[in-house]
Amino acid sequence: MTQDILRLEGLRKVHGDAATGVVALSDVSLTLPSGTFTAVMGPSGSGKSTLLQCAAGLDSPTAGRVFVAGREMTGDETELTVFRREHIGFVFQQFNLLPSLTVLDNVTLPLRLAGKRPDEARARDILTKVGLGDRIGHRPPALSGGQQQRTAIARALVTEPSVVFADEPTGALDTRGAREVLNLLQQAVRVYGRTVVMVTHDPVAAAYADSVVFLADGAIVGRMADPTPDAVAERLTRLGDDVARAGRAVSE
Amino acid sequence: MVRLALSSLRHRTAAFVAVFLALFLGAALVMSFGSLLDTGLTPGLDAASAETLTIMGGVVGGWSLLLVGFAAVTTTTLGIRQRAREVALLKSAGATPRQLTRMILAEVLLLAVVAAALAIPVGVFGGRTVLGLVQDSGQVTPDVTHVFGATALGQGFGITVLSAAGAAFIAARRAARVRVVESMTEAAAPTARLTARRAVCGVLLLAGAAVLFALTVVVGPDLGLEAQALAGYIDILAAVALACFAPVLVRGLRVPGSGAAATLARGNLRARTGHLSSALAPVVLFLGMAVGTLALQEVDATASQGMLPEEGTELVRTLNYVITGMVAAFLCILLVNTLATSTAARRREFAQLRLAGATPGQILAMVALESSALALAGTLLGLLAAAATVLPYSYARTDSWLPDFSPTIPALTVFLTLTVALATPLLITRSTLRQPPLTATTP
Repeated sequence: MTQDILRLEGLRKVHGDAATGVVALSDVSLTLPSGTFTAVMGPSGSGKSTLLQCAAGLDSPTAGRVFVAGREMTGDETELTVFRREHIGFVFQQFNLLPSLTVLDNVTLPLRLAGKRPDEARARDILTKVGLGDRIGHRPPALSGGQQQRTAIARALVTEPSVVFADEPTGALDTRGAREVLNLLQQAVRVYGRTVVMVTHDPVAAAYADSVVFLADGAIVGRMADPTPDAVAERLTRLGDDVARAGRAVSE
Repeated sequence: MVRLALSSLRHRTAAFVAVFLALFLGAALVMSFGSLLDTGLTPGLDAASAETLTIMGGVVGGWSLLLVGFAAVTTTTLGIRQRAREVALLKSAGATPRQLTRMILAEVLLLAVVAAALAIPVGVFGGRTVLGLVQDSGQVTPDVTHVFGATALGQGFGITVLSAAGAAFIAARRAARVRVVESMTEAAAPTARLTARRAVCGVLLLAGAAVLFALTVVVGPDLGLEAQALAGYIDILAAVALACFAPVLVRGLRVPGSGAAATLARGNLRARTGHLSSALAPVVLFLGMAVGTLALQEVDATASQGMLPEEGTELVRTLNYVITGMVAAFLCILLVNTLATSTAARRREFAQLRLAGATPGQILAMVALESSALALAGTLLGLLAAAATVLPYSYARTDSWLPDFSPTIPALTVFLTLTVALATPLLITRSTLRQPPLTATTP
């Protein structure tokens, strides 16, 4: 049985004043089933990062609703934090690991914060699976970018979240580090049945996903199943041209 | 480089407010007491008035020079250390260490000169007020007019500009020499080490305090009231010496509890020694100086009972409290200033914790635990420094090591210290939690 794990209803986000502000998302509705790997792509300024932040409860939409695992994401910062802690894992371009904690402590941090007894054996197991079994006592500044990002992935998976959101997870990595990170995200979906939503601008990265959602000017303008790097790149170029043409039409 | 320095000052107003405030208030304090020396050195003054004013200007002026010098050095160093990331960015953009040192030095010099210049009217007012009180107490004849001259200006500008520039030079050279990558990671978690320079300074200051302690005990009984000139420095020297050893001391701090907040606080006490040791110093200094000096006045009041008419004693007491109060108020502002700056610098860390699932309540609990450990340790060390001043002075004045005075003032000072050391970080933390977490993680 496939259940809809993430549902966005009429998301709208205006940065700044409602009347004069910049519209980052105009009216986005999207449903993603459990156990899928989705890439969100679009030209810069298309609203893809805003979409991820609103969907993940890191930013509040101007209008619209977000449902994760059938529950609406709403409430004050404490309620939102508890909700995120239970349902959502994050992987960011800048890793966002705490430099004062060891790799193992970084990974078990969400469990500790949730008041659970951190299952160290499980954390070690996950760290071994992401290839960091021999690095658990190190602190993040002593690791390479790829190793830091794999630590972040282990941390995102340790709570068994409903959805993992990844914002340009390969943006700060070299080709090899990027490939390892993408393989891990893919494995999390195919082997362990997690759901991953990844924002990226890289067609090669997007090709690791099951499907791609294309965004332009704050709206969804297309979807592609079983993406290949070439098909994604071609679609993206056309999208960029469309946006440029539309821009010219408006200014004329 | 000067243009770069100016634009950097304009764009980072918040970061410089703390440094500016310390330099401005410090200069005003030093100028206030410096002007008593100016007044006392005026030709044609009666001998008694001249002596009172020069002793007061010399002793209290000396304390404030030491304290303001220390404040200027610590706030400037803290201010520059927090810009490690910016320095790293400039370096990666091609700025040479020499250019960076010049830029930072230019900023700090400009800031110090402006702060000292603006402090002049405040110094004039402070000096006049103290002179008025001295005249009310009858120690100086009423016809003496207040003079604000070369000593006030020289000391006020000298101590702020020289200490700030010296600290800026050392901190800037250090920041500029580190490799780009190192300074990026260091910006994330600065650690403090007991460097050879710190250790030597600490040992010298402790030796100085020990010498003054011995002198107070040996020659103090013959000096009477003037033994204050010796004893009054012991707590300051001891407190600054303890501040030098802060990197070692904070490693000894402990936090009880097994929750997530306690675990995080313990980790921070181990790994964030840089921030914590700069926060420990002003706690020790404020408490040591305030309790030590206030207790000196109490010991004095007991010792001189019956020597002056009742009214005279009251006025002398008021005068002493006003002077001690001015110095203590400066140190209290320095304390708030340092705690606020070092907490605000943790914005990114707090945001990252929130992304990892920490609720605002958990972050506040973590900060409260760290701050309590720091405040309690600072209080104990501060009381130790104060005792080093009070015990020998009590022996010199009353032949008894244990002074006989009510514990109200020390208790109130401890209460104030604990309140400030807890409330400041918590209020700043709460204000950083109002921002959405993601905006705070992007540098």
